[in-house]
Amino acid sequence: MALLDVRSLSKEFDGLRALDGVTFTAGEGEILGIIGPNGAGKTTLFNMISGIYLPSGGEISFRGKSILRLKPHQISRLGIGRTFQIVRPFQNLDVETNVLVAYGHRFYPSLWKSTGPFRQPEILKEVQGLIEKSGLRPYTKQIAKNLPLGFKKRLEIARALALNPRLLLLDEPSAGLRFEESTQLMELIRQVRDQGIGVLLIEHNMHVVMDLCKRIVVLDHGSKIAEGSPEEIRSNALVIQAYLGKET
Amino acid sequence: MVSSFPLTLHPLRLTVFKMISGYLVTILITILIYAMLAHSLNIITGHAGQISLGHAAFFGIGAYTSAMLYTEAGFPFWISVPLAAVVAGTVGALLGIPCLRVRDDFLAITTMGINFVVEAIFLYIPFFGGAMGIGGINLPKWFGREMSKPEYFFLILVVFILLLLIDRQLGRSWVGLAWASIREDEQAAGPMGVDIVRFKVLAFILGSAIAGLAGGFYAHFLTFIMPQNFGFGQSIVILCMVVFGGIGTRWGPIVGAVILGIFPEISRPIMEYRILIYGVILLGMMRFQPGGLLGPDSILSKTFRRAVDRPSCLG
Amino acid sequence: MLWQQLANGIAIGSVYALISLGLTMVYGILRILHVAHAGIYALGAYVGLFSFRLIGNFWLSLFIGMAGAAVAGYLVERFLYTPLLHLPRIAPLIVSIGLFTALEEAFRIVAGPHTLAYNARVGLGDLSIGSFHLTETQILILFVTFAVLVFLWAFLTKTRTGLAMRACAQDPETTSSFGVNVSAIIAVNFLIGSAMAGAAGVLIGVYDNQVWPTMGSLPAYKALAIVVLGGLGNIPGTVLASIVVGLAETFFIGVLAIPFPRDAVAFVAMILVLMFKPYGLLGKA
Repeated sequence: MALLDVRSLSKEFDGLRALDGVTFTAGEGEILGIIGPNGAGKTTLFNMISGIYLPSGGEISFRGKSILRLKPHQISRLGIGRTFQIVRPFQNLDVETNVLVAYGHRFYPSLWKSTGPFRQPEILKEVQGLIEKSGLRPYTKQIAKNLPLGFKKRLEIARALALNPRLLLLDEPSAGLRFEESTQLMELIRQVRDQGIGVLLIEHNMHVVMDLCKRIVVLDHGSKIAEGSPEEIRSNALVIQAYLGKET
Repeated sequence: MVSSFPLTLHPLRLTVFKMISGYLVTILITILIYAMLAHSLNIITGHAGQISLGHAAFFGIGAYTSAMLYTEAGFPFWISVPLAAVVAGTVGALLGIPCLRVRDDFLAITTMGINFVVEAIFLYIPFFGGAMGIGGINLPKWFGREMSKPEYFFLILVVFILLLLIDRQLGRSWVGLAWASIREDEQAAGPMGVDIVRFKVLAFILGSAIAGLAGGFYAHFLTFIMPQNFGFGQSIVILCMVVFGGIGTRWGPIVGAVILGIFPEISRPIMEYRILIYGVILLGMMRFQPGGLLGPDSILSKTFRRAVDRPSCLG
Repeated sequence: MLWQQLANGIAIGSVYALISLGLTMVYGILRILHVAHAGIYALGAYVGLFSFRLIGNFWLSLFIGMAGAAVAGYLVERFLYTPLLHLPRIAPLIVSIGLFTALEEAFRIVAGPHTLAYNARVGLGDLSIGSFHLTETQILILFVTFAVLVFLWAFLTKTRTGLAMRACAQDPETTSSFGVNVSAIIAVNFLIGSAMAGAAGVLIGVYDNQVWPTMGSLPAYKALAIVVLGGLGNIPGTVLASIVVGLAETFFIGVLAIPFPRDAVAFVAMILVLMFKPYGLLGKA
């Protein structure tokens, strides 16, 4: 049983087909790359998996169960974490608090449990652990909006990890980062994978994709046009055409 | 207080003192009730970040509930007032749930509309006494006699302090964290596992229940209530206090209530132009000091920080 | 009888349209609920009234009222809203409410709390066909509103500025990257919207022969309900909703004689429509 099973997924906006019959699977402990030219529907795909959009057709299963009609907070509770293309930390809260918010997902369902204090030693220790793993220790008490971009991205991942995910959706994590920063981020993503977490990675940076992913899915204008190893994708004529542009 | 005064005091001075201290207690109780109202609005607007422009409606629902239970059903204060809070909170829940599923702007209009509708209900439906309102509501009785105003003040004060303690507890709990995340970025809060609707509704219920409680206290203190006390204008006054002191700060709304409650009393011209001043304060504060008096970027906070000369640290 | 009610309803609906259009236009371009718009409406009435007292001519007073309102609207945009666009939307909304409150009080303090008479006459005379009767002011209202709406339609669809305005409402960033001066467009938006509100103020002032400080209170919330009903930012929707509310109010009270507060009709209509069409009659997500 695959961790994530996407079958014939489609999404229409006012007559525009953003996604058309996309099918693929993703497993634990693997990094699956999702690439394609702008407007291919990659973020739309993520939005549907994480419950922000309702698909117009098709099916999404997570660990064997359909997650089609669930709301974002329900999906995150099932074990799917996600980062956004434009980083969205809670700007005026510090790093530790940001991660705590995500950590609280285990308490929010119960109103009674939610009234308990969050500054408990065991909880703070676990949160500190996540912060350390993401390389954010010196910034623990720093307000999120003051973080340099690279560390904001790490915070996004730290928050997603606090949700105890089995599957992590990363939307262009290396966008806007310098070479060293994105190399460090890649290392963090590898560590996440090594913990057995499945990773779906949307990326435009080909170095990152080819380096991190053993398998890649290529989207163009809402359809899947190729799937395979980095070598296969690199030499796929359809993929090359899509990127070079064939519109007149 | 008075009984400890030397009995050789001239009787006129005694009367004047009684008048002044009676007047003083009246102001204090009024300010305290406003502080409670401002604080309750702050839970909805400041903690959970939801616009509510009709808060006086819940104030009114609480006041009318308590008044009617007391005058029509003969319930004593000690039951009518807690029930006022429960009723206001319930209405808050019923109205809140559909309301809070909608976008920001719709929420603003809807809460305004709720205020108008509630006021209209009190005004036009004869069951609620119409334009004349309800009268004959007395101060509570205890130990076999009616409470004195200073005792009433302390009663409300104790309750308020309890509420503040509960509020502090919530601030340190996961609920407070959930509220902070909703306030900061609602769309990002959802994927973090926060059930947005549920926590917004919680803030709404809490805020409206406390406003209802204040309404109950108000009814028994004023001894008569009229629909006009609970209209949109009143909502603006409460909002003004919160904005002035600082939306989302712990003490801001209370400070706002105290300052805006006292000034009209000590200055006749301010009393005359009260409403104009409220409008200008809302306008001016939001334009130049949106964080309010106690907000992090206010002139007050900055001056204070400089004066204390704290070293800048990482948060 | 029916035609009479129809005419009354459309007349009232037309004035609602004049007020509400400014509100929906501002929302469309700035996403701000311009509550103070109703204060501009009342300002138009006062300015019109005082210029009428000075000059004695209805049409001049109408134009001066519109001009005064337009200027006031522009000042509000320039000094109160635009500087706050980077803050969460609750900020300009509260500013707007504060301004509206202050304006009403200012009217009371400056012009007095009492109702003032605005008995302008154009010399048209009333129109009577059998039992069908249109007063002079109703004719004026229908005429002015029709003229304004035609102008607005022509402006928005035929002129480049109008096109730019519609583009701004859709996507200000892209529009500015095409070389459009977005802040100028916003200013024009406010000028036109406020002028229309000012016209409405004068027309109502003349229609009721009453100008008083809180005359904006009811239109404030009614216009909001109408704008939501029609679809926030949707101009044809707002016109439609205005007529619907005008007719509904007239029919409820006039024909059906339901003992329902007339002024609650707008709000109830809004709630009813929102239940089935959450974005208003013609609104889109």
